Amino acid sequence: MTGTRSISGAVAVTLGLVLAASPAVAQDAETLRRELEQLRRSFQEMQQKQQQAIDALTDRLRRLEAQPQPVTAQPPTAPATTAPPAVAPTAPAPVAQTPGGFQTGPLTPMDILRPRQPFGLYQQRGAGQLLFDMGVTGDFVGNLVNKKLERTQLGTFAGRENRFFPREVELNLFGQIDPFARADVRIEAGEEERGAATRVSLAEATITLLTLPYGTQAKFGQLRNRFGWSNAIHEHDLPWVDRPDVYRIFLGEEGLVEKGLEATWVPDFLPVYLEVLGGVFTSDNETAFGGGRLSHPLVTGRARAYFDLSDTSAIQLGTSVASGDTTDNLRNTLLGYDVKYKYRPDGWLHPLLTLGSEGIYSIRRVSRSTDTTGLVDTDGDGVADTEVTTSSVSRRTLHRFGFYGWGEVQPWRRWAFGLRYDRTQYPVDPGYQWAIEPYLSFFPSEFLRFRLGFKHTERSRDTVFDPDGPRARVGNELFLQGTFILGAHPAHQF
Amino acid sequence: MRRVRVLGFIALGLLAAATALTPAAQAARKLRVVTTIPDLKALTEAVGGDLVDVDSLSRGVVNAHEIEIRPSMMLKLRRAEVLVENGLELDSWIDVAIQGSNNANIIRGGAGLIDVSRSLPVLEVPTVRVDRSMGDVHPRGNPHYSLDPGMAPIITQNIVDGLARVEPEHRPTFERNRQAFLAELDRHMGEWSKMLEPVKGSRVVVYHPQWIYFLTRFGLVEAGWVEERPGIPPSPQHLVRLVRTMKDQGVKVLVYAPWNDQKLAARIAEEAGAKPVLLAQMVGGVKGADSYISAVDYNVKALAQALRQ
Repeated sequence: MTGTRSISGAVAVTLGLVLAASPAVAQDAETLRRELEQLRRSFQEMQQKQQQAIDALTDRLRRLEAQPQPVTAQPPTAPATTAPPAVAPTAPAPVAQTPGGFQTGPLTPMDILRPRQPFGLYQQRGAGQLLFDMGVTGDFVGNLVNKKLERTQLGTFAGRENRFFPREVELNLFGQIDPFARADVRIEAGEEERGAATRVSLAEATITLLTLPYGTQAKFGQLRNRFGWSNAIHEHDLPWVDRPDVYRIFLGEEGLVEKGLEATWVPDFLPVYLEVLGGVFTSDNETAFGGGRLSHPLVTGRARAYFDLSDTSAIQLGTSVASGDTTDNLRNTLLGYDVKYKYRPDGWLHPLLTLGSEGIYSIRRVSRSTDTTGLVDTDGDGVADTEVTTSSVSRRTLHRFGFYGWGEVQPWRRWAFGLRYDRTQYPVDPGYQWAIEPYLSFFPSEFLRFRLGFKHTERSRDTVFDPDGPRARVGNELFLQGTFILGAHPAHQF
Repeated sequence: MRRVRVLGFIALGLLAAATALTPAAQAARKLRVVTTIPDLKALTEAVGGDLVDVDSLSRGVVNAHEIEIRPSMMLKLRRAEVLVENGLELDSWIDVAIQGSNNANIIRGGAGLIDVSRSLPVLEVPTVRVDRSMGDVHPRGNPHYSLDPGMAPIITQNIVDGLARVEPEHRPTFERNRQAFLAELDRHMGEWSKMLEPVKGSRVVVYHPQWIYFLTRFGLVEAGWVEERPGIPPSPQHLVRLVRTMKDQGVKVLVYAPWNDQKLAARIAEEAGAKPVLLAQMVGGVKGADSYISAVDYNVKALAQALRQ
C-alpha cells in the first residue's frame, strides 16, 4: 500500500513537472531565437562598422598616395601634372597619441611615490633615435697685451697673455630623462695657463624637476648660478669677449658656479612675468665665499620681472642676493641688480639696439691684524725701556660696489658693434679700476661668430696688487675671438 | 567702528584688485590654449570654437625659425592648459620657453602638448646625410606644411585629439566644428584649384624654401631659391646663376615672405624680368590675411594674378 502510494506520488510529481516545464521549454526556444536574431544583427552591425573603418582607412591611404610629389628644379623636371586632391571633409583615422604616455597635470605627493615608467617620451621618437640632444661649442681667444701687462699678469686673461688659446670647448648633452625631469650636462676643456695641458672638467650637470606643483621647478647639481643676468651665461654665449670686470673681481674669472639646489616659482596671477628663485649651495667659490660645506651654506635669491613695452621693445629687471661665509668664516653678502632693454624692429631677425647694465654691492666682514709696537718695563725698574710688538685682530665691514653698462647696435644681420664700460672697486683691497671696451662682431651664420675687441683699463693710484712687484696701472689689450656651434644648442632667452 | 569700516574698504579693494589681476577670472570656462605660430591659432580656433581661448606666441610677419624667447611668452605658457606646436623643428625654440614657464601640463610627455605634425605626409625629408654645411636644414623634413590647405584635415584631427585629451567631454563639439570648417575649406578649395588651373606647371622661384607644400598642392614648380642654402644669405655668384636660370626657364614670379629681404627680392626679379610677389607665409602675414582661409585665398589670388600676366 505504501509502495503504491509512493509510485502514485512520483507519477504525480513527474506529471506536475512536465506540465510545468512545457511552457518553459517553449519560452526558452523563443528566447534563444530572439538572442540568435540579436546576435545576427549585432554581427551585421559590427561587420558594417568594420567595413566603414576599412573604407575610411582605404580612402585616407588613397588620398595620401595621391599626394603630389614635390617638383623642384634640382634636377629640373617636367611640371607636376598630378591633380591636387580636394580637401576631404571626412575625418582621417584618428591619430594615435599613446594615451598611456601622457602625464596629466602636476604631480601629487602620491604620484611622486608611485613607480613611474618613462615610456611616454620613448614612444614619441622612432626606434634607433637618440633620446637626447648633443652639441659641441668651441670658443677660441687671442689676447695681445703690452709687455708691462704681460709681466704683471694683471690683464683679463692672466697667464695667457700674448697667446691664442682654446678658452672653452664644450660638449653639451641635454634632454628629458623621463616625462618628469630633464638633465643638462656640460663638459668643458680649455687652457688655463701658459703651456699647461688642456684641462677637462665638468662645467655643469643638473637635473631639473619639471612637474612640481604650483608653478614651481627645482634644479640641483652643479650649475652656473642665476645671480644677475650674465653669470648664468657661458663664456661663448656672452655678448663680449670677456666676462664683465665686476663679475671677475667679485666672483672670480669663472663667475659663480656652485653645487646645490635652487627652486623657482613663476606665479600665474600677475599681469607681468615674475620669476622668484631661492637656492642653497655648498659655497665653493673661494673668491667671494669658500665655506665649502652645507653647514656653512651659500644662500642665493633672485627676482626677475619682464615688461613688453611694445611689440618691438621690452625690458627685463632683476635683483639678486648671495650670502655665505668666506674662508675666514666671516659673512659676505652680495646684492646685485640687472637691467636689459632690447629694440627689435618689426620683422627683423635680430635686435637693432640692446642696452644693459649689472652691478654688485658687496657687504663683507673682514678681519685685519694690527701690530702695535711700544716700550714696556720688562726689568721692573719702573722705566719702559724694552720695545715690544703686540698683535691684535680687529673686524670690520667693507662696503664695495662695481657695475658695468653696455650698448650694442646691430644694423645688419651679420654685423654688430658694441661698447662696454666697467667700473668697480675691489672686494677687499683699496682702490678701483675702470675699463672701456669697444668691439665688433661678425656672424657668417647663426652657428659661427668672429669678434674683435679692444680693452683699455686704468686702475686708481691707491691700488695695491702686489706690494713687492711692479704695478700696472694702465693696460691695453686686443682680443680676437672665434666661436662655433656644432649640433644642438638650446635657444637663447631674452 | 570707523576702523572696522576702513579695514572693510581695504579688504574689498584688495579683493577687487586680486579679481582684476586674475586672468582665470576673465577667461572663465574656456580652455586656455597657446600656439607657436598664427596658422595653428587660426586652426585651433576653428576646431575649438567658443570653448577655447587661443593665443599665438609669434606673429605672421616674423621668421618662425628664429623667435626670440621673451619671458612674456613664458607667462602665457604658464597659464596655458594646452600648447599646440608645429613640430618638425620649425618651432624647436619652444622647449626653452616651456622650461621657463614652470607649467607641468605642457612639457614633453604632458597631456597638454599637441604636436600637429604627427601622421602628416612630410615633404623634402632628407634621404642623404645632412649637416650644417647645407644651411639651416630640417632633418625631419620641410616644416612649412600649414601653407597647404590640403593638410588641414590631418592638422585639425591632431588638434581635436589633443583638445579632447584634456577635455574629453567636448570631443563631439570639437569634431562638429572641425567638420564645419573642413566643409567650408573644401568649398574654397574648388575655387582655388580652378583659379590656378590655367597656370599649372608654371615655374616659380622662392626666397626661402618654405612654399613647397603650397606649390605642390596646386601643381606649380619650384624652380630655385634666392637663399643658396636655407637660412644663409646668398652669395653674389649664386644670385648671378639664379638670374640666369630664371631667364633661361622663363620664370615670371619670385615669391617672398614679409621677413625676407624685400629689396633683394625686388632687385633679382627686376634683373630676371620677373615679378616679386609677397605672399602670406602665415595668417597675419599680409594685410587682409586674418584667417586661415583668407590667408590661403590671398596667396592663391596673388599668385594666379602674377602668373597670368
